[in-house]
Amino acid sequence: MTISITALTWLVSIALFVTVLAPVVLLIFWIKDLKEGTLW
Amino acid sequence: MNSIDNAVLNPAIGWVILAVFSVLWVVLGYYLGKRSKGLEGFMLAGRKVGLALGTATAMATWVTSNTTMAAPQLALQMGIWGMLGYSLGSVGLMLFAPLAKRIHELMPGGFTSGDFVRLRYGNTTWRIFLAISLFYGLGWLVSMGMAGGVLVNALTGIDYKIGMTVILAVCVMYTVLGGLRAVIGTDFIQTIIILIGISLLAWLAITEVGFDNMHSAALEHRPELLNLLMPAAIMFLFNNLFFGIGEIFHSNVWWSRAFAFRKGVGFKAYLIAGLFWMPIPVVAGFIALTVPALEINVPAADMVGPMVAANLLGTTGAILVFIVVFAALASSLDSLLAATSDLILTDIYKGHFRPQAGDAELARAARFVVLGLGLFAWILCWPRLTTLAELLYFTGAFVASTIWPIASGLYWKKANPVGAAAAMILGTGIGLVCYFTIGFYVAALVSAFVSMLVVLLSTWLMPASFDWSRLSSMDMQGAKS
Repeated sequence: MTISITALTWLVSIALFVTVLAPVVLLIFWIKDLKEGTLW
Repeated sequence: MNSIDNAVLNPAIGWVILAVFSVLWVVLGYYLGKRSKGLEGFMLAGRKVGLALGTATAMATWVTSNTTMAAPQLALQMGIWGMLGYSLGSVGLMLFAPLAKRIHELMPGGFTSGDFVRLRYGNTTWRIFLAISLFYGLGWLVSMGMAGGVLVNALTGIDYKIGMTVILAVCVMYTVLGGLRAVIGTDFIQTIIILIGISLLAWLAITEVGFDNMHSAALEHRPELLNLLMPAAIMFLFNNLFFGIGEIFHSNVWWSRAFAFRKGVGFKAYLIAGLFWMPIPVVAGFIALTVPALEINVPAADMVGPMVAANLLGTTGAILVFIVVFAALASSLDSLLAATSDLILTDIYKGHFRPQAGDAELARAARFVVLGLGLFAWILCWPRLTTLAELLYFTGAFVASTIWPIASGLYWKKANPVGAAAAMILGTGIGLVCYFTIGFYVAALVSAFVSMLVVLLSTWLMPASFDWSRLSSMDMQGAKS
């Protein structure tokens, strides 16, 4: 039983989307912490 | 094996990248470390780390040679399940989220995971735990030091020993200068670099090769890579799940962060870090599936990631992968240096030899311990003994045996010292037998199972009644016998 090309495409695409999203979220957290004085 | 003929980057470019990022990390470490005050400042960044830095440091520390070099390696060896198995490493981070909250509540003044085991289970269990934890910490440190040397050699042709030495020396330097504050501060930038870098590499791999070519070539030349029913790979998947949980539950790398985070941050930081970490092994690992389409000859499995990137993207790809893996290695090496040296300082130096040592003495000694640990790791990294995954998975039997003693010790009054000690010894022993007789992919699984049975059985036969307040009244004097 092998993974289909569609499943492989979906798997990698979703993983890539979340990985691209992560630095954006981290930067938002960073700005929020900086504003509230809770960075450190 | 890793000859200069395979290198894509000119050694001069390699040296420039090494120099630029080495200076960046050391200067940043020095700058951040200037604000560290006293022992808590050096060891725990003042216990006030917020959500952004907390999430990033958990992610960066867990993105290591595992994900940037061993994930493609395992994808090449075990196909789809190789990279999905690595993704399950994120479960450990997410499961640690409630534990981090509990640890902060029970031990607001704690320093190390060793403190917990000593106060919860007593000296004998503590020493067994220390042996496991230090062995694992050193194994991880050495595997990453070796990964650094392999990377530099594969991409630039610079000698393995020189590359390994430079990377290790840089991490030791900025950890000595700034302690956990420097580690966490650099982790944030390293996380951003890693995430952007691997996304870019994956995107370029998709556009250059395409899913159609990748899938059809793999199906023709290496169909096992796409097989969803490869028994060894499925065992690996579950083994990796328990290995990851064991690594995180016991290791002071994660405990020290639980102590360092602000109140209320630990749960969120570990949960979000786990969710964002989950796709990284897939993104980093799937490029190995392009090997059949590209017809690359991979001389050593642990070089597949850099080689594919270099083959696909030429000099730019090689530079990008070099920067990404350097950031990934540094983010984990520094964390391990800091957390393992904390364990040596608090649990070995103070706990066994200098119980009367005050904060000022410990703060001074902390820097020497980091230096000494770095030197010891460097000596062990000098001969390239084994492949990265093999070295890492040898420790699987050890760490998985700690899952149940730690988890039950945090939540279950009835868990007792004899059961915890026996669980670690028997879990490790039987796990190791399976490592040698069956394979690396079952060691953690068997160890965790045996450990669970021992904890459950011993708690049923000899229930204790632990007083939780003993954990908050931190006894920092160390061993009494």
